[in-house]
Amino acid sequence: MRHLTATVFGAVAGALAASTILLGGADAKTFRTALRADPAMIDPITNSEIVAGDILKNVYESFTSVSGEGKVSPALATSWETIDNGNGFRFHLRKGVKFHSGRELSAKDVKFTFETMLTPSMKGGSAVVYLKNVKGAQEMLDGKAKDAPGIVVIDDNTVDIHLAVKDVLFPIYPFLIMDSAVMAEQGPEWFNKVSAGTGPFKSIAWKRGVSVTLEAHKAYWGGAPTVDGVSMPIVPSSDTALSMYDAGDIDFLYVPENIVSRVLGDPRYKAELIESPRAQARYLGMNQSLYAPFKDKRVREAISLSIDRPGMIKGLYKGAAFQLNGQITPGVAGFDPKNVPPLKFDPERAKKLLVEAGLPGGKGMPPVDIQSTEIFKDEITYYANQLKRVLGMEVNVKIVERGTHIKQMNAGEVAFFPWGWTADYPDGLYYLSQMWYGPSPYNRARYKNPDYDRLIEKAQATAADAERYKIYHEAERVLMADWATAPLPIPAVVALRKPNVKNVTVTPFGYSPFNKIQIN
Amino acid sequence: MLRYATRRLIGLIPVLLAAIILTFAANQLIPGDPITIMLSDQSANKELADRLRAQYGLTLPVWQQFVNYILSILHGDFGLSFRFVGAHVVDVIWDGLMISPVLALAATALAVPTGVVVGIFAALRRNRRADTAVILALVAGISIPNFAMAAYLVYLFSVKLAVLPVAGWGRLDQAVLPVLVLALQPAAQIGRLSRTYMLEVLGQDYIRTARAKGLRERLVVYRHALRNTLVPLLTTIGIIFGTLLSASFVIETIFNIPGLGRLAIQSVFARDYPVTTAIVLLFTFFYTMVNLVVDLLYGLIDPRIRLGGGQS
Repeated sequence: MRHLTATVFGAVAGALAASTILLGGADAKTFRTALRADPAMIDPITNSEIVAGDILKNVYESFTSVSGEGKVSPALATSWETIDNGNGFRFHLRKGVKFHSGRELSAKDVKFTFETMLTPSMKGGSAVVYLKNVKGAQEMLDGKAKDAPGIVVIDDNTVDIHLAVKDVLFPIYPFLIMDSAVMAEQGPEWFNKVSAGTGPFKSIAWKRGVSVTLEAHKAYWGGAPTVDGVSMPIVPSSDTALSMYDAGDIDFLYVPENIVSRVLGDPRYKAELIESPRAQARYLGMNQSLYAPFKDKRVREAISLSIDRPGMIKGLYKGAAFQLNGQITPGVAGFDPKNVPPLKFDPERAKKLLVEAGLPGGKGMPPVDIQSTEIFKDEITYYANQLKRVLGMEVNVKIVERGTHIKQMNAGEVAFFPWGWTADYPDGLYYLSQMWYGPSPYNRARYKNPDYDRLIEKAQATAADAERYKIYHEAERVLMADWATAPLPIPAVVALRKPNVKNVTVTPFGYSPFNKIQIN
Repeated sequence: MLRYATRRLIGLIPVLLAAIILTFAANQLIPGDPITIMLSDQSANKELADRLRAQYGLTLPVWQQFVNYILSILHGDFGLSFRFVGAHVVDVIWDGLMISPVLALAATALAVPTGVVVGIFAALRRNRRADTAVILALVAGISIPNFAMAAYLVYLFSVKLAVLPVAGWGRLDQAVLPVLVLALQPAAQIGRLSRTYMLEVLGQDYIRTARAKGLRERLVVYRHALRNTLVPLLTTIGIIFGTLLSASFVIETIFNIPGLGRLAIQSVFARDYPVTTAIVLLFTFFYTMVNLVVDLLYGLIDPRIRLGGGQS
């Protein structure tokens, strides 16, 4: 009976605590913002999508952390040095870091996290890509080994990572390191019961289709968060989300793309509006082997010159977009606004280039499809019109379902398309090595340039940041001098923030961390 | 009656089977690849994609996937969701299962009496001003799309007056607007129909007889006339309840209610075939059950309608 009473009391207390967080009780300060979809998962191992990532980065941490401005600083590792002639790293872990369970972080946890991610049955998510170069990782992924000899625990606070291929960015990869004791204690569905990170927030309560709530981790090594919790109702409808913001049910709203122009045009939001470029390189893919005229550099340049970027930003994006002149975005290491000259809108020169290429007024250019997904509809209609008007090119608009489009792009089957590539970590090499490097599977336009590829390989082996950034700049110049692509404007991330909420903003990488938020 | 019900229940099996086949075929026919969407930024990782495809049984021939699916359904296993990593379909739809039917029932419970009362009111004032006004209101009620009505009511009651919450589910005040909006169209429909049925019945000989006997008007209307409008009305209500289930797709999205309708839409977009199929099956089941209940009710209302053949 006593036991039962205790249980009932516990349940009541739990429900009260939960309702306090959900409803924002008198004293408890809860930050409230909407999620546009359910996360696909809430565990650090299978994590592989943006919604989940935005939540989990408040709960789990990596060796380093990324500030809102894209600056990398030490987090779980206080320092690291290269070993094996640069083919590996020794990480010195921060002492006294407490997991949400109260246990202390040790090198064991790093090894456990990495090896769990590499175990095929655990369905490791996006971090698996970052671990691929670790010695023994491939054998684990193939199911041939139970552990990776490249991950060595030296002592409680030191772990060595040996790499099969040089990978200078390893320390900045966004791993989510977890408590190694939790799975054994709580069973396979542990993530529905507890959280296993070291981050500023704990106890992820996810009610599918309803909400995700976080509770402050008071013992956080970086200082207790200033709010008691975060409540994130899941609101797929953009109109509903905006109404909730209007009614004061949420403090902060990432404005969904389909209502951005409405929000920007409404004067009552003016004072609460914040904007940031997103860490997404936008580009026009021109596959030279699928459409013969693209083989001529002059044609590629003419296409870029036909696009009125300032006009697009003003008209199509209502001002909420940023011009991109190269393929590294602002807020990302290695970005230099002066590295490549600003792209111009010059119809006269564009026409002249076509004449030089032997295609005056588009004569001799077969019709071509410009293909993308529904959300690019307005944009590709604009390109088709503009190219017809300026160059006399016959361009047909083709809208394709997202999954099909991505699959075809990956297979290198789309001749002409606008697309964007969002960075997972703040380093320019992310874009350069994935989008335009010859062997990369995400080189969706199948661009090939041996000079460019050599520079990328050199950058991947250059540990010193300043020196490496110089190589990025050179590579970006090679790319643009060759008119590999026509960079396109980056739509801004637009958010609404109530005046009483401080220290939360949007950054190129999503939300700024929640732990410094102040609500007055 | 019992024999009839059993026979009808057995008759459900081919209906459900047809629903499975159609949904399965539709899922195969719509463009898109669940694994590509699942992987999003890692979509060019061929090894991972192949491994996942095999894990979800998508590498098998289509007929075999279909047979496997039927077999596992018979074991009560609807498979794993494509969108929620490692989650069973049953777990994904369970909470919604408690919401959408409740919403449809509440709306029906509001719409039927409102509609009937309004319909009788208008019928008794045939061709007078009040009748015209009611007809106008009913036509408006049927014509205004429910999403437009919802947006207006949210703006009025939640944003401007701040008396009701914008969205959500779980508290009584959160149910007011969705149920109201959901009930509006069916109420108008029922109102129009019951006015027509009532006018028809009021012209019958037995009503004239009842009046000639000197019965009070209220008794004539509610005992003699109303009862005879119920059978055609019941058919309509059955159909309306079915429509309400599908109308909940829109209402649940606008009012952010985590029901089956909203989930169905999200699952279609995410190419989460197992969840989509399960929801279609459930809706088919609800719909056929409602029809069965309506058929059984006929016998209760009108003894002339005998179910289960003449002999019994």
